[in-house]
Amino acid sequence: MTDHTLNRLRGANPFREGTAVDAEALFDRILLGAPDRRLDRAPRRRRRRMLLVAIAIVVCGLLASGAYGVSGLFDHIIHGPTVKAEYVAAQKQLTMPPGYEWPPLNWPANSVTSRGAGGAFAVSNDQDDWECYWVDAIHSGDIAAQRRAHAALDDLMANHIVIAPAGSPEDWTPPQSSRTPTLAFADDGGYQYKQRMYAEAAAGKPQLLEQSCRANGPASHG
Amino acid sequence: MTSDIERRSAEERFRDVFGHLGAVTAYARRRGSRDADGIAAEAMSIAWRRLADVPSDDPLPWLYATARNLLLAERRASSRTAPASSEPSIPAPELHELDPELDRALRSLSAADREALLLVAWEDLAPTQAARALGLSPTAFRVRLLRARRRLRAALEQERQPAQLVQIDVEGT
Repeated sequence: MTDHTLNRLRGANPFREGTAVDAEALFDRILLGAPDRRLDRAPRRRRRRMLLVAIAIVVCGLLASGAYGVSGLFDHIIHGPTVKAEYVAAQKQLTMPPGYEWPPLNWPANSVTSRGAGGAFAVSNDQDDWECYWVDAIHSGDIAAQRRAHAALDDLMANHIVIAPAGSPEDWTPPQSSRTPTLAFADDGGYQYKQRMYAEAAAGKPQLLEQSCRANGPASHG
Repeated sequence: MTSDIERRSAEERFRDVFGHLGAVTAYARRRGSRDADGIAAEAMSIAWRRLADVPSDDPLPWLYATARNLLLAERRASSRTAPASSEPSIPAPELHELDPELDRALRSLSAADREALLLVAWEDLAPTQAARALGLSPTAFRVRLLRARRRLRAALEQERQPAQLVQIDVEGT
């Protein structure tokens, strides 16, 4: 306040600070009275706030772990590039019949499927080609080739083809599919049909095998 | 109190508030209280009972506001025993020791203008503190203070012109 008028007013202050009472006695007398009860609640409010913070931290932790868990639920979903990578990796664990080549896998990059599908495609192609190789061997009378084909198909059936458990969902994935290329057959008798097909071919009745080759084999056998 | 520690903490906090006893007493005296010491003591008792409401960083505006309410109550009580007069308002200062010119100029102001001026000039509050004491926003207080200064200046100038005497508000309202 630089105003001259107010400086004049300030200078005219009629009383300076001071009290005639015994301040200490008054202080003690006032403290005999009940204090503000709300001061009690302040620490409680602090404790409640701390509790809320702790609860919030726990909830955040649960949400974070839940999100991780939810992301795990979708971990079995893979996109096109992963399918192709699985298909290529499976080719190192499987053997193509002599004279056959792995067909390219045309799987759209933006399409999704279950983990292990690339390996399943490789097993399926390998099985089809070995069946056609066996048919060719039967037609050419190559006994050694017939035995080689039979052995290869038995190996596929024993180690790379499984029957999905009864009642399992359509996208059921064999547990070992991430390490070993595996093809899952539905529990509808298809696996047993293949077993009968191979047994009959080995017994000199290749009709079912020829039919399967025509239906599923490379275009040259269709 | 849930513990001695909390009680001691409250007492320590109140001791800081109580340190303004002299200022509150002077405030009551400047506003013309008949029992300035009693007003200040009661203001301190209220502060103890309502310590949670008292701003711990700057309790003085809160104390002045409480003292002003007590002064109003004192004035209301005295008006019941005195002959009928105007409604009680923010008490007029104890002006008998002022020079007559300033005395009359201050009395010519409204109670609100006068209180704004005196909180700053006599109680030495910063405008933001004075605003809290009056329950105003700082901006509203600055506007009021500016107008009050102008009116006081105008009143003092008129005091120097005997032919144009200002009407004196004897009741300080």
